[in-house]
Amino acid sequence: MKKLLVLLSLFMVFMSLTACAKKETIVITWKQNKPEIDAAVQAYAKAYEAETGIKVVATSCGGDSCNLGDMLKADYQAGTMPDIFPIDGIAAYNDWASIIADLSNEAWVQQTSVAYKVDGKTVGFPVAVEGWGMAYNKDLLDQAGIDPSTLNSYAGYVAAFEKLDGMKAELGIDSVVSMVAGTSMNWVTAHHNFNSLLSNGLAYGDLSVTNALLAGTVDQTRLDEYAKWVELLFNYADQTILTTGNYDAQVGAFLNQKAVFLHQGNWVDGNLTTATFKMAFAPHGSSAAVTDGIFVSPPAWYVVNKDSKHLQAVKDFLNYMVTSASGQKYMVTDAGMIPAFKNITLKPAGQLSQSVQAWVASGKVYSWDQYYFTDAFRTNTLGPIYDEFAQKKITLTEFEAQMTAAFIANKK
Amino acid sequence: MKKNRTNISRVIARNVAEILTIGLVAFFIAPLILVLLNASKTNSQIITNALSLPTNWNTLIKNVVTIWNNPNLRYPQALISSTIVTFFSLSGITIFSAMAAWVLLRTRTKLSSAIFMMFVAAMVIPFQVVMFPLVKWFGVFSKFTGIPMLRSYFGIIVAYIGFGSSMSIFMFHGFMKSIPHEIEEAAYVDGCGKIKTFFYIVLPILKPIYVTILILNGIWIWNDFLLPMLVLGKGTPVQTLPLAVNNFAGAFLVSWDLMMTAILMALVPVVIFFLAAQKHIIKGMVEGSVK
Amino acid sequence: MKKPHNIFKKDPNRGLERDLRNQKLIFWLFLFPALFSFFMVQIIPFAIGIYYSFTNWSATAQLSIDWVGMKNYIESFKDFRFLYSTMITTIYTVLNIISVNVVAFFLAMLDTSKLKGRNIYRAGFFLPNIIGGIILGYIWQFIFNQFIPKAAAAIGFSYFSTHLMLGDVKTAVLAMVIVSTWQYAGYIMMIYVAALQNVPADLLEAAQIDGANAWHRFKNITIPMVMPAFTITMFMTLVNSFKQFDVNVSLTGGGPSTTFMGIAIKGTTLLAMHINETSSIYLNTAQARAKAIVFFLVIVSFSLLQVTLTKRKEVEL
Repeated sequence: MKKLLVLLSLFMVFMSLTACAKKETIVITWKQNKPEIDAAVQAYAKAYEAETGIKVVATSCGGDSCNLGDMLKADYQAGTMPDIFPIDGIAAYNDWASIIADLSNEAWVQQTSVAYKVDGKTVGFPVAVEGWGMAYNKDLLDQAGIDPSTLNSYAGYVAAFEKLDGMKAELGIDSVVSMVAGTSMNWVTAHHNFNSLLSNGLAYGDLSVTNALLAGTVDQTRLDEYAKWVELLFNYADQTILTTGNYDAQVGAFLNQKAVFLHQGNWVDGNLTTATFKMAFAPHGSSAAVTDGIFVSPPAWYVVNKDSKHLQAVKDFLNYMVTSASGQKYMVTDAGMIPAFKNITLKPAGQLSQSVQAWVASGKVYSWDQYYFTDAFRTNTLGPIYDEFAQKKITLTEFEAQMTAAFIANKK
Repeated sequence: MKKNRTNISRVIARNVAEILTIGLVAFFIAPLILVLLNASKTNSQIITNALSLPTNWNTLIKNVVTIWNNPNLRYPQALISSTIVTFFSLSGITIFSAMAAWVLLRTRTKLSSAIFMMFVAAMVIPFQVVMFPLVKWFGVFSKFTGIPMLRSYFGIIVAYIGFGSSMSIFMFHGFMKSIPHEIEEAAYVDGCGKIKTFFYIVLPILKPIYVTILILNGIWIWNDFLLPMLVLGKGTPVQTLPLAVNNFAGAFLVSWDLMMTAILMALVPVVIFFLAAQKHIIKGMVEGSVK
Repeated sequence: MKKPHNIFKKDPNRGLERDLRNQKLIFWLFLFPALFSFFMVQIIPFAIGIYYSFTNWSATAQLSIDWVGMKNYIESFKDFRFLYSTMITTIYTVLNIISVNVVAFFLAMLDTSKLKGRNIYRAGFFLPNIIGGIILGYIWQFIFNQFIPKAAAAIGFSYFSTHLMLGDVKTAVLAMVIVSTWQYAGYIMMIYVAALQNVPADLLEAAQIDGANAWHRFKNITIPMVMPAFTITMFMTLVNSFKQFDVNVSLTGGGPSTTFMGIAIKGTTLLAMHINETSSIYLNTAQARAKAIVFFLVIVSFSLLQVTLTKRKEVEL
């Protein structure tokens, strides 16, 4: 026993003395938020070191099991803030504003129209372009004789849903739409679907509805049309998936052709690699008027730590990703992302990603405005209202009333 | 006659109890069986039907090999790191907690009661309160003293000892009370110093307790993710198993097949350790030592 | 109960001063390693946390950390979600304490009886402790959302085939109790087993010879001797139920929704999760600290009460 104690203390002393030996080469740290592409990230880091001699330590943290916000806070407290890390909107920007570098003069800025700008300064490198609309199974729509180009208004969807619902047995589906509203999936309702209320049918970057709601003024006509759209989706969705389904259940139903429509974005391409049918995006039908476009934006932007020890090397790293063949291959081919830069001609393999690119090419895009509302408001205030509605605990009128009350209470 | 009847009823009762127990055990390990089944399927098979039987059990071996050989995971190194961290943390917790509990119990002063209460009260502290301050403090401490607390074995082991000592001291304290003073006094009269008394007399009596403490702390430390993420960091040279396999859970795409396999792989050492340690939790050694 | 006995009383044969020095030296020597680690990771960070609860600290790159006095505490008490979480956590804790301890004690009794294959059963009861995180949620969500409805339909128990347990707040709390009992009973069982092993067999035999039946032996010998374990297990289940986080997040995610004081909220957000959300979602890390400290004080009060009550019944030899 005593010997063990002595061994133990000796070992602890030994361990404490053998800190990791620091090499003299330049090392930059890169944190990104999609663990599923970690293999591609690590491969690119190695390629970068081989091609430029600069070592890149890349870490992935995201999803349910690793909270990137918490990890960044821990890093900051420990004094090991990364050189490159993602932000997803104004709240995250404000958290780190005092250490974010100005990237306005970087070469890549000329190649993109969706960089993150604050007060005229460019500070964020768009990680990718993502989009969502109503993903549809083209084969099933053909079988039912429905033309996707009619799916761009409330009336168009009502007609299509009713027809499809009557043909359930024939098409072999459980429900028309695969939709979720449960607590852990309320980002689909309170973040994405909510955005239809904010920007559907408006010019890209038009914040009039958003600002009005932030001021507590609710356009009841627009809200009513939107609420009817929500009700439509909920009524034609599989009730089990709607109330308690998780991400895999929702996407799985679409993958296995148990539902004709899926309320998700092009990131599901990674989950649909075994799909055997044709698919694409159609607009949301949250207005009586025709709204011919889908919602497109970068999901996150890389910002640079201005206190980095190797600031120029970090900036070079970002430029290299856009201009070099290995950087472009990493972004598009290996990580499957839609590039946000004009000079990149590679196309991602996923059908839904290609659909997004088609909508972008035709200029029919609407903006993502949900981040102007706080995460807390969307997740904890709006989310439960959608949940109550999905569980049929409140009526359409009550849904609209509670949403209105929430906006008024949220007024800054 | 009466004896036969009670014998038969006892046998029946025992068989009923056996069947009930097997049923209970089945309920307890059913989810683990689910893990085993799903570790032997591909991801799309799992999503389609989590209850289905594997079509090809070789998938399990394929998954294990994938995880073991993956260059980004560095699984073998993580396994070694986890073992080192767990072994030294457990040794530290068990020995130091027993030592502390003993002196706190046998020294009846206000100070010792206060210190004991402090240890116990700390069990109540939710981890979220100390999470960020801990990291900050470790960073500051490292800078001032030059002893690396973050990204080092020393730091994480001290952390586990710090967090595990509360419960362990509490448990040791509670069970040490049932060791009669006579035993320790007898040893003292025989010429044993206090230190010898502790290590050669008291500790062996407590074997069932400290083996229990080893098991309880071991399970938690072996599978812990949060503390290593904060103290060791992700993607740093020293990684424990939960850190290494964390990337299987993506933001949108979760590799359930690999995650289930990783859990199975983490289970194996635990089960072995548990079955080996069990036989030390055997019937009372107190009366034996009194005699 | 005998008067407390100080084993370190002075022995005239060993020299007064040497004994006094020895006594103190051993006390601090034995205490030091545990105390040092404890201070490093619990006391000092906690003190820092207390300090920050009186400021506007956010753990991010803020330009200045300003003192705000009691503001965080006052706002915590005005937060109706904090109130709801406290309420629902108390309900959950009461249910969980009963459930875990009854099951664990029952398992421990089974375990120390003469059943064959005990060692394997013991491992089986204990293993659930290993599974945590998102896998736990995935498996149990599957069981509650798909397996139980299908099984209920097959048996004809129609209520459970149409009403999902995780879809209603009341049954979702029960679901959490089931999962946490499943996960934690084995852990508590180990403590009861250790205690039951310590019950001297000869005492039990003597009682049996004297004519006491199984129930009397149990009530008058086993239970009093197992009391130190009760103090420990009651305390641990009380504290761990109040602090419940992992099962909460992975099984229910804080939902499903319900209406409280006229507003729709997430219905099973227990206190630990609420405090975490205050920091990560409401981005109010300082207020989260304040709430956590209030949380700490509440649990300490409850557990002090519990420990005092159960300690009175312990038997010290």
